[in-house]
Amino acid sequence: MELLINSFVVICLVSGLVFFAGGSVGIIRMPDFYSRLHPAGKLDTLGIMAVVLGLALFELKQWSLASVLLSLKMMLIVFFVFLSSPTATHSIVDAGIRAGLAPWTKTKRS
Amino acid sequence: MKFFGFLIVSLCGGLLLYASSEFPDWGDPDSPASRHLSPHYIEESLAETGVPNLVTSVLADYRSFDTMFETAVIFCAGLACLLLLRKYKPETDRYYRHIPTGVILHFKNSRKSLPVGSEFELMDADWVPYDLVIKTVCRILIPFIQLYALYVVAHGDFSPGGGFQGGVIFGSSLILLAISYNLRTAVQRIKERVLGFLCVLGVLIYAGLGVLCMFLGGEFLDYSRLAAILPADPVHVRALGMLGVEIGVGIAVMAVMAAIYVNIASAGRHDEGL
Repeated sequence: MELLINSFVVICLVSGLVFFAGGSVGIIRMPDFYSRLHPAGKLDTLGIMAVVLGLALFELKQWSLASVLLSLKMMLIVFFVFLSSPTATHSIVDAGIRAGLAPWTKTKRS
Repeated sequence: MKFFGFLIVSLCGGLLLYASSEFPDWGDPDSPASRHLSPHYIEESLAETGVPNLVTSVLADYRSFDTMFETAVIFCAGLACLLLLRKYKPETDRYYRHIPTGVILHFKNSRKSLPVGSEFELMDADWVPYDLVIKTVCRILIPFIQLYALYVVAHGDFSPGGGFQGGVIFGSSLILLAISYNLRTAVQRIKERVLGFLCVLGVLIYAGLGVLCMFLGGEFLDYSRLAAILPADPVHVRALGMLGVEIGVGIAVMAVMAAIYVNIASAGRHDEGL
């Protein structure tokens, strides 16, 4: 049981770190404003979800009221990040389009 | 005039720089602060104030006088913003929308106005359609942000937090309302008069607690004197006094944040902004 939980925690943490690494590379490498926001939004939601889920599970190994409350608070953080981060990304993209920034295309527009 | 201003600023700056050369070195273990003061705070603060959070006990008890004037500085910032920016003359260039049909009326340079109600509503000049996603998420999140702000204010004695942080979080929830809907909605929810009153009330609570302690026979802001009127044991009464002070700070900071935002975003007209 211990081994099972531990391995699940490690899988969660590693996948979260993969998301963070990929997102960071994406923010630097993507060509324009809109496509850079895509990895930024993914990184915030999915990366944080995986990492915090792993940490909350790790905390639950000692089954007590304090640890359950702590993991519940962690999951609340995930919930609010899940709500607010995509909304923030959405609103930034919206503002970019309203301000008249054209999306990047591979061929130069004449 | 500009020259005199420059002269005064450089004189004050030079004096401050000159005085700072007398300070002890950064992290000097022999300086008076690290020899007497910090060890006293670290070793005695729990026994003397009954507050587990060292930072709060230093901020709101040992250096309470200092914090009171920090609150006054924030109050002055809000007041200066109001005095410099506020314009009371209403805008003559107005847009109204007829709600049932969606027809937009533009009033140019006229003193006439339409009754705002279920038929007509005032509209921003650079109005953008409401975004359902942003509106809904902000409506869900704002109560939680405000609840969290109250938690931060109330929990300042035990964990990181306090009046300044909680007030800023609460103020930012009002700013979020103004951004996600429009400035008019936020100003309708919390009127300018209420904001001004809350600015004053916060500082007044702080100073009033100090004066109350004087009336009860102690020194200014000596919270232990509050034991005479509060039904709590004398060890805990200092923490309660700090809580009262933190609530005052939180109210003042919240109101000043919102007031500064409303004044700057609408250039003092309080009608439309970001």
